[in-house]
Amino acid sequence: MLRERIAAVARPRHTVHAHCDIPCGIYDPHGAEIGARTVARMVELINQNLGDDPNQRNQFIRCVAVKEQHAEIVKHEVRVIWGDYFKPEHVEKYPQLHDLVWRIMKQAGKCRQTVDAQAAAELQALVKQFADIFWETKGGRPQA
Amino acid sequence: MSGLPRGACPGSPNPDDLNRARFRAGIRFGIGVAAVVVALAPPVARILASWRLRSAVEGMSMRPTLEPGDWLLVDPGAYASRPPRVADLVAVPDPGEPSRWLVKRVVDVDADGRLELRGDNPAESTDSRTFGTVDAATVIGRPWARYWPVRRVGRVR
Repeated sequence: MLRERIAAVARPRHTVHAHCDIPCGIYDPHGAEIGARTVARMVELINQNLGDDPNQRNQFIRCVAVKEQHAEIVKHEVRVIWGDYFKPEHVEKYPQLHDLVWRIMKQAGKCRQTVDAQAAAELQALVKQFADIFWETKGGRPQA
Repeated sequence: MSGLPRGACPGSPNPDDLNRARFRAGIRFGIGVAAVVVALAPPVARILASWRLRSAVEGMSMRPTLEPGDWLLVDPGAYASRPPRVADLVAVPDPGEPSRWLVKRVVDVDADGRLELRGDNPAESTDSRTFGTVDAATVIGRPWARYWPVRRVGRVR
């Protein structure tokens, strides 16, 4: 009772915003990681040599199309976080960031051009590095 | 106090002298009280004025100096005697939305007296890098003390 009365009197009348316009919470590199995993999985399926009947050929072509799309999704997701979320202070702390993003762009292109499992694994590894930096700036990766 | 007639006890003080001494002591006491009042008036006035602008911190951009949920006293008169300087905390209206107040730190004052503001946590701050410098005349006051939470009560700077 008394506590409430005191709290009612002491409660601030104003708010001062120590704010950040960018709603940092909306950014998440998960999409890029899923994209890279999808690319790797498509490469795996394509290399299984599905066979020649129309259904299998259809399946094959779909895998190629999905690989194309998801390589682009990786590039898009990484580019948004890189361009919109990261601030100069982050780059100062992680000077490899720009080069890493550039290598992801290149590697995603390579994954579109080839069905190289090694290239797909490399893309996943680069995206993971990118995601790790992101989560370090946020104070840790949330527990899945 | 003795109740003895005047002169009954040789060497005892003359009651007139005693009254005079008491009178002087009274004056000294009065002067002392007045001095204390005069000495305390500005800080009390400052606290009262700041109390009217008591404010809650929202957001992370001033960490670790100010945490979200801190309750602050904001002195509206702090910058009347001198303009804000580099490293001062200021409460200012958001240039993009003046009805809402921001708390930031002055990191530069340009030749025209405009303030370059920055969050103490620049990685999570929208400040002069986005909205440019702000006019020192718009400053609402100086956050100078935290009165909540109890564990972190004290001056802020």
